[in-house]
Amino acid sequence: MAGPVADIREMNGSDLISALHLAQQAPAILGQVSGSGVTSSKSSETADYYARLEQLLLACLRTGDDQSAHTCLNRLSLRFGPSNERIMGLRGLYEEATAKDQSALEKCLQEYDNTLSQSPVNVPILKRRVALLRSLNRPSDAISGLIQLLDAIPTDAEAWCELADLYQSQGLASQAIFSLEEALLIAPNSWNVCMQAPFFLFLFFSFLFQIKWSLTLKCKIHSRLGELLYICASDGDASRLLGRSVQHFSRSIELCDDYLRGFYGLTLASTRMLDNDYAGVSGQFPKKTLERLKAFALLKLGEIVESRSIDDQYWASSRSELIAAKELLNRQ
Amino acid sequence: MAIQGADQTILRDPALFYWILFPISIVMILTGILRHYATVLMNTTPKAPSTLAESRERLALLRGVNLRNNACSVLDRESFEMRKNYMVTGFRNGAFLKDPNNRGQPPANPMTDPAGMEAMMGMLKGNMMMMIPQTLIMSWINAFFSGFVILKLPFPLTIRFKSMLQSGVMTRDLDVQWVSSLSWYFLNLMGLQSVFGFILGSDNAANQMAQQMGMANPAAMVNPLQPGQDPDKLYLNEAENLEVMEHFCILDGVEERILQNFAPAGI
Repeated sequence: MAGPVADIREMNGSDLISALHLAQQAPAILGQVSGSGVTSSKSSETADYYARLEQLLLACLRTGDDQSAHTCLNRLSLRFGPSNERIMGLRGLYEEATAKDQSALEKCLQEYDNTLSQSPVNVPILKRRVALLRSLNRPSDAISGLIQLLDAIPTDAEAWCELADLYQSQGLASQAIFSLEEALLIAPNSWNVCMQAPFFLFLFFSFLFQIKWSLTLKCKIHSRLGELLYICASDGDASRLLGRSVQHFSRSIELCDDYLRGFYGLTLASTRMLDNDYAGVSGQFPKKTLERLKAFALLKLGEIVESRSIDDQYWASSRSELIAAKELLNRQ
Repeated sequence: MAIQGADQTILRDPALFYWILFPISIVMILTGILRHYATVLMNTTPKAPSTLAESRERLALLRGVNLRNNACSVLDRESFEMRKNYMVTGFRNGAFLKDPNNRGQPPANPMTDPAGMEAMMGMLKGNMMMMIPQTLIMSWINAFFSGFVILKLPFPLTIRFKSMLQSGVMTRDLDVQWVSSLSWYFLNLMGLQSVFGFILGSDNAANQMAQQMGMANPAAMVNPLQPGQDPDKLYLNEAENLEVMEHFCILDGVEERILQNFAPAGI
């Protein structure tokens, strides 16, 4: 019993492969309950157990195991009651994920609106509503919904990140930067923010994030902010934005010194600064520093790629990043 | 005056031991456990805000604090100034208040405000939970066991401990090692924490389920405002704190820093 349980705690369920592994253990976890799970009376254990059940629910939904997901959901609502806000959110998630067509999704949306008219500060439902609007391809509605949410709850980092992502998808770069900065203010050293937009388009907005605050996922808003600054540096005062981009990438490396994405971004940004001869312009980056930064980033990138290619299995989830890094190395 | 250095001996009936020492200890442990469960039972989760404006009123303050604490690790001067100005004017104008029109008026009496009433009630309950059993047990002990010397500590103590160990026994000359029944009650009251920890599990064992029940977004549940506190005053305070803040940014020179700390010497 201890074996699989320990494994699950290790996984963060943020990428498809580990989600799949997790979902494959569904029968074991769900079966074990009927035997012994309920009798484990210590409250800490059951608390753990329900947190695990929630993760399992998400993983099952992602991997298409709707039946197990339904079982999980039922167990959770049996324990916490269907009127619990978080359970309502999870149920909404389940309904959305199993919706057959557009009209079913519209119905979900209507249900959310009904719920919200009764209890306006139901955070999980508010978030689900935004995510649903997004997946219904109504980004401006989603943005206004999020702004409303953030006006009331300005200390919610994941909502700020989502807003940044939405803004970016609409090409509103400076707003996106602002939002990410807000998120960083809440969690200055954070590990955070999934960047794979397609992932959470449909399923995961609010709930996976709650798992992601765990330390296992090493994406950082800093680096994300760096990326964003890099992207929008094409217009306006490019040299300043690029400079800040370099700074944020550097900071993300400072926070986590084998962070592939940080080094990748640092390479790109410093290369671009060197190419366009911005070195002297902003005043703070002498050319020599930039060259050293670039050389350092390339060196580390090479090291990371090499070491991760060896134990390929362990890094399977970030394989695409690895490929991109290899390609960048070849180009240089 | 007692002869210094010589052992005082008091002939105690061993029945004192069984009929006073044990009962007091057991009663104390049992009431402790009872109190714990009673607290769990009567514990009300902090009330979630019922409207968006209310939630904003609570969290705007946290936002200001966040800005103050974390700005140095994120923002450059320009965006910091922008945010600072926004927050300060917001705090000053009362833009974040639940109903800005009521601003400046004395805060509603928490006795008449139902939400404040509830919070007060919660505090009251908590206090009662401590007070009532203690009064009862203390009067019980006073009525039945006062004036007994029930225990001799196996180690010497200084005279200062006399008031702690011999309350209820008015003898000037009695050696400090002797413990009276009333003092034994006090010692139990203060010293049983670890026993409860052992019996009931660690402190938060009972709270964990409550946390789980409030599985909603924890950020939304935080309430920095005490009942009866005027948010406007806190805002003005926070605005002042923000105004005097000096800006610096750890991003300045970060590139040199990583080159120095992480890069190998050759580069």
